[in-house]
Amino acid sequence: MKTNQKKAWLFLAPTIIFVTLFSIYPILRAFGMSFQGGSLIDLHWNGFSNYQYIFNDPEFWLAIKNTVLYAVISVPVGLAISIMLAWIIFDKVKHKSFFETTFFMPYVTSTIAIGIVFRYIFNGDYGMLNFLLRSLHLPAPDWIDDPAMSLTTIIIFGIWSSLAFNIVILMGALRNIDPNFYTIADMYGASGRDKFWRITMPELVPTIAFLLTMNVIGAFKIYTSVYALFNGQAGVGNSGTTAVFYIYNKFQIVGTPGVAMAATVILFLIILFATFLQRKMMKKVGEN
Amino acid sequence: MDNNKFVEVKNLRKVYDNGHEAIKNVSFSVKKGDLVCLLGPSGCGKTTILNMLAGLLNPTEGDILFNGKSVIKVAPKDRHIGYVFQNYALYPHMTVLQNVMFPLIVGANKKSKAEAKEIATKYMELTQITELADQKPGNLSGGQQQRVAIARALVQEPQILLMDEPLSNLDARLRLKIREEIRSLVKTVGITTLFVTHDQEEALSIGDKIILFNDGIIQQDDLGQNFYLEPNNYFVANFVGNPVIDNFKVTKTANEIKSSQFTINLADMEQSRFKRELPDGEYVLSVRPENIVPDPDGLFETKVDDIELIGRERILKFTFDNQQVRSLINLEAPIKHGDVVKLKMRLNRVFLFTPEGERVY
Repeated sequence: MKTNQKKAWLFLAPTIIFVTLFSIYPILRAFGMSFQGGSLIDLHWNGFSNYQYIFNDPEFWLAIKNTVLYAVISVPVGLAISIMLAWIIFDKVKHKSFFETTFFMPYVTSTIAIGIVFRYIFNGDYGMLNFLLRSLHLPAPDWIDDPAMSLTTIIIFGIWSSLAFNIVILMGALRNIDPNFYTIADMYGASGRDKFWRITMPELVPTIAFLLTMNVIGAFKIYTSVYALFNGQAGVGNSGTTAVFYIYNKFQIVGTPGVAMAATVILFLIILFATFLQRKMMKKVGEN
Repeated sequence: MDNNKFVEVKNLRKVYDNGHEAIKNVSFSVKKGDLVCLLGPSGCGKTTILNMLAGLLNPTEGDILFNGKSVIKVAPKDRHIGYVFQNYALYPHMTVLQNVMFPLIVGANKKSKAEAKEIATKYMELTQITELADQKPGNLSGGQQQRVAIARALVQEPQILLMDEPLSNLDARLRLKIREEIRSLVKTVGITTLFVTHDQEEALSIGDKIILFNDGIIQQDDLGQNFYLEPNNYFVANFVGNPVIDNFKVTKTANEIKSSQFTINLADMEQSRFKRELPDGEYVLSVRPENIVPDPDGLFETKVDDIELIGRERILKFTFDNQQVRSLINLEAPIKHGDVVKLKMRLNRVFLFTPEGERVY
């Protein structure tokens, strides 16, 4: 047994070293830095003052509010649309692999590139979206340049870009459902609704739980899409700022790494809590 | 209404999209309340027939009648059938009770929860799974899952129960037990049952009658013992029986049947068993191993290559025309490996087939 354990450590060593060096150490370092003031080359302990600072900073609260709103809206809506689309492709469409590839394409394309294209689509004056809205006699807001619309625009973009990954994973899960389940249901005269709610959805629960976790974590870390949509800014007048934007700004632009790390710790705790909460929730759903 | 033709299949033919003709021309009928086994080697078309009966497949030609009415254009859900799949297809996220209730709480004729539960409980008692009600299928043994699948197939009180190789996922001992249970269960319920299997022993033991398929046609549609005693053709004789039948290449002349090592006088055969006048030529003489036995006045002499013990009996194995031939003998018979014995055939029990497989004696 003893020799076995030694060998096991040897085989685990590369992973342990890398994880410690690049994951565990930075987390601890960030946690430590959140209690330090000054610039990167001149750090000194200053207790809880970084936390005091961010809790009194309205910009921090706006960033957290935006991030939470983004996560709470874009994740469920995006997931619901993904399930709907995946089910339609799986159930009704003939050339499944073609559509699957099409839907997966955004996932392998850089968010920055997509963001730039969306800047044109969302453009208030000559964008395609407003062209469509106007032709349908619907209000055509200024998606990019109106501070009140920033978050909405980010959410729409977020929902759209979450579809690719979700649909591909969901299609895989749908394919794994024993087709005999449906054959039997048909034989008993089950309707399409019966089949969807009594067979498909329960069978998808583990996959949905996985996607929900991934999506929520991803949503709290939103940065790139905001950067791309608003040309490197967080929307007009920082109206679309997010937690990561705030952290980056405090770290690189303002040069107060301690404040950035305090915000990081708070974001970390929020993500941890959200993940924990939804694990509990999905467990409940799975049991019923 | 003709109870002898509760299920009637007329000139059924099925050609798949890829051109494969799975069923060539099949007609049979099933008596109300009977348990009929559709037997055959894999790929013989027996599951295709079951799926056409269930309405999962449309026949290319022919007709299927339930209770005297054609069901070709009737949707599966309106055919009043229960279906048990080979892998049971129980819903893993539902408990046993929910699985059994499922057929009752979906679709246009759904019942109230309380009513559904009552019916489900009745069938769960019948299949002895009441105490498993709150378990998930994943926690059940193969035999228990099997019972849940049957209970679920029965709750809608169908007129016909279709089972596709329902025992093939169980281990040998359990299979024996469950097949008896299935038989007594369907007899208690009185439901007409079609049971697909590739296992002749299973078919012989539970079927009221057996329909043996091969190459998309019926080889024999008969009572179990007749497959053994009076096989229709060479295929049936070789498919049914364990150990398998012994075949000898023979040549018929005016008054003899000759093989490389023995000669049988035609006068010694039972004349009434000849199906027709036989022209001289090549034939296959087939004998069940228990009808070829050591005897001092035997037809021919041979060396015992090997002896296999199968419980109460032993199989002597010897070589004839470069083929292995078997003789089934009593456990006590004093014969050893390497002995030279004389073997005799019970001529009133042998079969004679043309090279095409037609039975002529």
